Order: sequence, then structure tokens, then C-alpha cells
Amino acid sequence: MALRIAVIVLFAVLTGQLARMQLLEGDAYAQKSRENNLTVKEILPSRGIIVDRKGVPLVENVGVYTATITPVFLPDNDAARYAIYQRLESLIGVPALELQTRVKDAEKGGRADIEILLDKQLTKEQAISLEEATTDMPGVAVSIKPGRSYIAGNAFSQILGYVGPQTAKEYAALKGDGYSLNESIGKLGVEARYESYLRGAKGATAAEQDAQGNLIRALKTRDPLAGNTVKLSIDSELQNYVTDLLADSMADPNYATATKAAAVVMDAKTGQLLALASVPNYDNNIFNQLDTRGAEYNALANDQVGRPLTNQAISSSAPGSTFKIVTAAAGLQEGTITPQTSRDIPSAVLEIKGENGVIYPLVDWKAHGPGIDLTAAIAYSSNIYFFAVACGIPAGSFQPQRGLGKDVESSAVILGYYARAFGFGAPTGLDIGDEEPGLIPSPEWLKRVKAGPEFNPEDREWYYANTCFMGIGQGDVTATPLQIARMTAAVANGGKLLTPRVAQSIVDASGKTIKEFKPEFKTVPVDAANLAAIRAGMRGSVQYGAGKRAAVPGMDIAGKTGTAEFGPQRPDGSYAQHAWFTGFYPFDDPQYVVTVYFDLGVGGDKAAPTASKIFAWMQKNYTP
Amino acid sequence: MSARSISFRQTSGGRFRGWDRFDYLLVLAALGLVTFGLLLIYSGSARAYTGPTISFANPVTKQAAFAIIGIGMMLLVSKLDYHYLTHLAWALYIGSLLSLVALMFLGHSAGGSTRWFNVGPVQLQPSEFAKLATILLLANYFSEHGGDAKDFRTLLISLAIVAPSALLVFFQPDLGTAIVFLAMWLGVVLVAGVSRSHLVVVGAVGLVVLPFAWTFAVADYQVERISILVDPQQDPLGAGYNVNQAKIAIGSGGTFGKGLTNGEQTQRGYLKVPTKDFIFSVLGEEMGFAGAMALFGLFILLLMRGIRAAQIAGDTAGQLVAVGIVVLILMQAFINIAVNLSLFPVTGIPLPLVSQGGSSLVSIFVSLGILQSIIMRHRAYRQT
Repeated sequence: MALRIAVIVLFAVLTGQLARMQLLEGDAYAQKSRENNLTVKEILPSRGIIVDRKGVPLVENVGVYTATITPVFLPDNDAARYAIYQRLESLIGVPALELQTRVKDAEKGGRADIEILLDKQLTKEQAISLEEATTDMPGVAVSIKPGRSYIAGNAFSQILGYVGPQTAKEYAALKGDGYSLNESIGKLGVEARYESYLRGAKGATAAEQDAQGNLIRALKTRDPLAGNTVKLSIDSELQNYVTDLLADSMADPNYATATKAAAVVMDAKTGQLLALASVPNYDNNIFNQLDTRGAEYNALANDQVGRPLTNQAISSSAPGSTFKIVTAAAGLQEGTITPQTSRDIPSAVLEIKGENGVIYPLVDWKAHGPGIDLTAAIAYSSNIYFFAVACGIPAGSFQPQRGLGKDVESSAVILGYYARAFGFGAPTGLDIGDEEPGLIPSPEWLKRVKAGPEFNPEDREWYYANTCFMGIGQGDVTATPLQIARMTAAVANGGKLLTPRVAQSIVDASGKTIKEFKPEFKTVPVDAANLAAIRAGMRGSVQYGAGKRAAVPGMDIAGKTGTAEFGPQRPDGSYAQHAWFTGFYPFDDPQYVVTVYFDLGVGGDKAAPTASKIFAWMQKNYTP
Repeated sequence: MSARSISFRQTSGGRFRGWDRFDYLLVLAALGLVTFGLLLIYSGSARAYTGPTISFANPVTKQAAFAIIGIGMMLLVSKLDYHYLTHLAWALYIGSLLSLVALMFLGHSAGGSTRWFNVGPVQLQPSEFAKLATILLLANYFSEHGGDAKDFRTLLISLAIVAPSALLVFFQPDLGTAIVFLAMWLGVVLVAGVSRSHLVVVGAVGLVVLPFAWTFAVADYQVERISILVDPQQDPLGAGYNVNQAKIAIGSGGTFGKGLTNGEQTQRGYLKVPTKDFIFSVLGEEMGFAGAMALFGLFILLLMRGIRAAQIAGDTAGQLVAVGIVVLILMQAFINIAVNLSLFPVTGIPLPLVSQGGSSLVSIFVSLGILQSIIMRHRAYRQT
């Protein structure tokens, strides 16, 4: 009967397929079955923390709680699903309709078994109440990711940076180092620079799992290795004190209120920074709370006046008279002046017959009188004295004097050489941040930047005045507060141009120091005697000169003020001014450098008193 | 031979000697399959069920209880002359159609299709009984209309008998069961002596209608299931997931399997419905090729005994009923196993006597009872 044949044929077909799968390809399927069951899960290490020079923690590791939905585990019934969405809305505030859309999209896209991460940070209370509620909400779970909390306050934001998820570009670069995509990495600041120390080493567990991803049996576990601690040279108390002080000192009843300020406190012998303050600042926890603080972040990013996201301590502006230290060093070292070189400055204006018979008025801030030597010129911050050192006084004018070189161009080149030797025009090599290099102009530079057809030929000319203004830190010269501090340290310590650092050492989990950052320096090509002459002038400045408001009773402080004009000339003929003060103490054996900068203000009246308070704080807490 | 001349009288006289002819081999094969089923249900439910052994919530206990009910029904039906059933065929048929229609409004949905009623703790699947009612009616119809399908009009009417049930289950939607209906019809009309040319005409019309049915009538999920079959890897975590996992389960079982309750695929939840539609995958993984061959042997024995019943049947009605039942069991077993082996799109067909499910188990036992009834009475109705 045909039916018998049908039975045999149909079962033969089944047997054939079965034999192929089980007997011929059985091993391959057995391998697939093992792979199905085996899972290797990475265990992220806890990230190393960051402490200040006294061991005070500046960051904390915290759990970041978020909710997840896995569509396959949700009930089939639409009403039951919607009830879950509504419950979630009331618990964590994500709209039910949004949840419904996201689940539907995931299901349509064939990702029903992949958990949907609701990018909303939950408070601990929310996480706990959600965790309790998940028993009635199949498919909903609480996920905990390692996160970072910055506990030291806004004063540390610029230094520390933050930790965040990798961008696609970062991942492409990092995956060679064994990073997985879900690992957060340091962004900006210490978090980014010392990532390799802070990261630690990932652990892993190999385990058998079921179809829902539940672990059945752990097979092998490699424990993660916690990251190392980065110990900063920053003193958190000082950092906070200086930051608050800057913020409080910005207002000025007699002059414009500053919009930005920075201060640096540096160890003059090692280059370690005890404070690196920038105002205004921000809370760097914001980067991981953008979902709730987006408007706040946008306000920060769009603030073009205060530019709070920019670190002012490594942003450049005209250094003004603080730069006279470089001009003095150049003159002394080149032998065009001696400490005894003296000028009479009977008037605040000295008229010079320049090229082609042009008359230049060289303007000082006051008539300093007769017999001004280098010490007095530094102490009182004479412009005319340093014009003369830099660009010389041509024959035929009052008290002719040779400049640094044989002509104004070579004078500028020689001054530029010393400026670079003191670290200007290039990043200092600070271990964090995006430093501006600042600018040291030169005739060659001027030709280059004004090469375009939109400039007139005379725009490319380097004139007498260019060298003169360069000599007092004006014109096109710009420098960062950190560069000024570093120069000051080099003068103070006898010629070591130190590389500034915020990190002091790396300490492992057991408390053992595994790496100490040794001071690094270049030697400034200026004789010790010449630097001593400059120091004497700086001491005079604080004792009786332009910087005397920086003085602190009982402290032997030396310093230099700077008031740099910038921007367009105003209708009354004046310019906006930056206020600077840079100094060190104690005079005999310099230990610490303090540099203060306000974007608007007068050096002696605004920056010097602020520096004075910092010196006083230092005396109280750091008497050498 | 003509069915009309059959008398309802016992010709041998004296006492009823049917029990002597009772086909114990048939019952043995069925019990073997049920035993396989109980073992596999035990293994397949070990992960999901952790309650006490003796409890109606335990799928094994529940299945065993249904098996006992089924055996009881089989014995009862064996005792009954199958002509009572063929005579009641219209009533049974209309009743089953009504229940299929009612299902559309009252039934319980799962996985995109509506297939059963909830009656207290028991789920009643009317299509299981509709299959039997359709077989009975077809047999009855042909035996009353000359016992053959040579006449084209008779053929069309027989198709009209199958069509409502087939369409109703098709729209549940349940492609597999619809195919089982058509196969049953084909088997019966072939045995009833259909003219080849008539069959070609019906087949040709069917082929023309098929693309339209595909476009308008086949549910999206079924299109997806069929296209997944062509390439299960195209979406390994989506609709192809079940197919892939079943393949891995069966393939990894190898020659002798991993041992009962030792299959990782089964025990770790990679198989969906491991006690029902994918129970064969459990067998493949845990008992291997050898176990599958034993199962095939039991099925072949069962079916051969069924075919024997058709051959020795005393009249056309008995013969056609037996053929219908054999095709029913054959096609369900074939489609179910073919689904597990990725030879057929996923469709909710249980493995007869093996899969968990009371309606199917009891209805198959009732069918076996009818077969027994035919066997036991074959001499009584043998035409003289």
C-alpha cells in the first residue's frame, strides 16, 4: 500500500536530516552549544583616587544607578506592559510613552533580548525603591555602573577633569590597550593625564550561563586590580583659599571689576604647584549629570565673558611689566647694562627721533627723577628705563644708550632669545590641561603673520617701537600666569627653569609610593650675579616700590608688578589693563613663588594686595 | 465492493469476539511513545517546575493523568462500534466547527495565535477534535456516496467538508494544522479512488490561489517564520533564535545524547516550549540519534499497525477512517519533527502522544480506540 511507502519515505527524510546534524555535524553543534553556555564577563576595577599633598581625597568612587528594561522579559499583554511603564514613570520620572516607544523600537529592530539602558541617573533612594518594585515588574532591573564624584568643590574642577564614556574615536585609539567600550575614561585634567595609573586592571570571570544570562556556575575568576592613587602637590586648603580670595577680590571700587582671575603658588625649588587657581570656575560633576543639568552646562559653555570652562592660569595675555625681568636679564647678560647703569627720567614723556625723522613719545607712568639705576627701575617699574635697555635711545635724543643689539631688529631677536630661555612662547610642560603657548614676537614672525595681501607693506615692517614695547611686555607679547610664575621661580632659584607639575607621586593600593615625579628643569643662560641683581630690584619693589602692597610684616618678599594695557584705545585715550603681580619668599633662600593675575585691574593696587594675602597664608601654614 | 450493502448485524453469531483481535502491538507502540513523552516532559520542565511530584501543577503528573484518561477513552471507544461515530459525524463536525468559530471570539491567545479555550484548569484545543470529526465525516460521506471519489462533484463536496475547518485553523493562524487537514483529505480521497485528472485540476487551482492566500491571508509572523527557515542566521536573536537553538540542541546531542536532564540547551532555557512543540529537540539533545531512532521505530510501528487496520477494515467507512487517522498521526509527527530539524517553518503542531498537552493526547487515544474498533470488527463487516 502506498501509505506504507509514504510513512517510510517521510521518516527516511527525517532520519537523513537527523543523521547529518547529529552524526556528521555533531561536533560543530556541540561546540556551538558550549559557546552558548560560556560567558566571560569583565569585572571593572575600582578607579584609583586623587588626593592632595596631605592625603585629603579630592574624588570619590560612587555607584551610578540607572534603570534597564529588557523587552523579552516584559509581559505579553499590552495593558500589563503599560502598567509597568506608568509605574516606572512615577518612580523615576521617565515618561511612560517614551518607554513604550523605546521598547517597541527595540522589538521591531530585533533587539528584544538586549537591555535598554534608560540614561537617567537615579538617586540612591530612587534606586532602592525601584529595586524593591522590580519584583512586580518583570523585565525591569536596576543597573549599577562605577561612577566618580568630585567632592573637593569647584576650585578643583580645572585640575581634576572628569571621567566619562569613551567617544567612538577614543575607543578606536584605546581598544588596543584592552579597553572595552563600556569603560569610562579620564577626560581632561589629572583624570586624563594619569589615566594609566588610575585605571587599574580589569578582572574577568568565566562562567556558565542560561539563556536569560543568569550565571549558573563560575568557572574561573581573575580579580580586578584597583587603580593607583595619584597624589598631587596641590594643597587643597590653599587651593580653596586662593580660589575664594580671587573671587572676592575681583570687584574694584576704583577701577573695572575683573571678569577672570588666576593665581599660581609654586615651589620655587621643584616646580611643584601648591595652588593653580582659575576664576570663574564650575562643578565638574556636571559632565556626568548633563541629563538634568544641561541648561547649566550650556550657560557655562556660552559664557564668553568669564569663560569658566577655560583655565585662566594657562591662558595667555599681555604680561606687562612682569616681563621687565626678562629685559633686565637680557641687558645684564648681554653686557649692554650693569646694575649700576643709571638714567635720569625728569619727565614722564621722552621724545625720541626715530626712523625717517618720526618723533616717538616714550611714555612712563611717572617722572622717576634723576639717577635711576636697575634696582630702582625694577622697584618702581620704570618704562623708559626698560625701553632704553630693550631698544636703546638713539643718538641725538636725551641720554643716548645702546639697545640689546646693533639695531632694533637684532635687539628684538636677542630679547626673544632670553624670553624663550625663560620659558615664554611655548607650553611649560605642565602635566595637565591645554596650555596656551603665549607669544614672543620677532621681525621674522611679523613678516610671516602679515604676509597676506590684505596687509600693507609697512604693516610687515618691524619698527623701533616694536622692540621698545616688547621690552615692557606689551605689544604682541603674551604669557600665561603659569609662565610668569615659572620665570619668577627661575630668577628666585638661581636659574633653574622648572617644569611645573600638579602631581607629586603615585601611590599603590597598599600605600606604597611606586613613582615619584622628580623635578625637571632647564638652566637659564643668565649668570647668578645678574639674577641676584634682578632679585634685589624685586625686593625693592615690595619694600618701597610699585609692589609694596604685596608686603607682609615679618616676611622678606620680593616681587614685580605688571599693569598691561590691552585692547583698543578708549575715547579718553586710556586702555583697559591687566593686573599682575609675581613674587617669591623668603628672599634669602626662596621657597615659594606666588603669581596673581586679574584680567582687569592695576598690578600694584589689585594683584599685589591679593598676593599679599596669599603670602600671609603661606607664612602661617608653610613657614620655611 | 459497495459500502451500501454492509449490514449492521454481527454475522458470526454468538458472543462478541472483538477483544481477541484487539491490536496489542498498536497499544504497545502508543504506550512506548507516551513513556518517551513523560521522560522528556520531566526533563524539559525540570527548569521551570520545582514543585512537588504528585501535583496537578506538575506537567509530568498532569500528562500521566491525561494518558490514563486517554487509555480509558481508547478502551471505551474500542468497545463502541465505529459506525455510531460515523453516523454521528455530521453532529460532531458541526459541533467542532462551532467551537472553532467560538474560539475566534472567546479563545486564549499566545504567540500571535488563538488556539484554545480555558476550561477551569484545563486548556481545551478544539482543533484536535475537529480533525477527528472531519475524518469521520469524510469517511461517512464517501461511504454513503458510492464509496469512491471518482465523481468530480463528490470530490468537490469532500473538499468543501474539509475546507471550513482547514480555513478556520488557517486563520487562527495555524499553518501546520491547516496542512494536516489538507493531507488528511488527500489521503482519504486517494484511497477512495480519486481520478488523477480531477486531482490535477484541484491542485492547479490551488497553485493559482496560493500566491493570493500568501499575500492576503498568511499572517506576518508566518511569513517571517518561513523566511527565517530559509536563513536562520539572518537574525540570530530574533525570530530565527528558536530555530537556531533547536538545531544546536539536536546537533550537539550526537550519537547517544548527553543523557536525560543533562542537556545544556534544554536545562538552561535555550529552547522555547521544550515540553511541547520543541520536545523533539530535547530528545535529540539528551538521547541523541539512538533515542530518535527508537522514537521513529515506535512511530513506524504505530503507523504500520494503523495501515494494517485500514487494510483489513470490514467496510469502506472503516477503511477511510483508518486512513484518515494514519495520515493525521503521520503528518503531525512529520511536521513537528521537521520543524525541529529546520525542514519546515515553525508552526504549533504537537508531536502526537509525546508532546505535553491533554487535548492532543486524549484525541489521539480516541483515534486509536477507533482504529481498534475497526480492527475488532473487521470480520463482522466483511462483505460476503
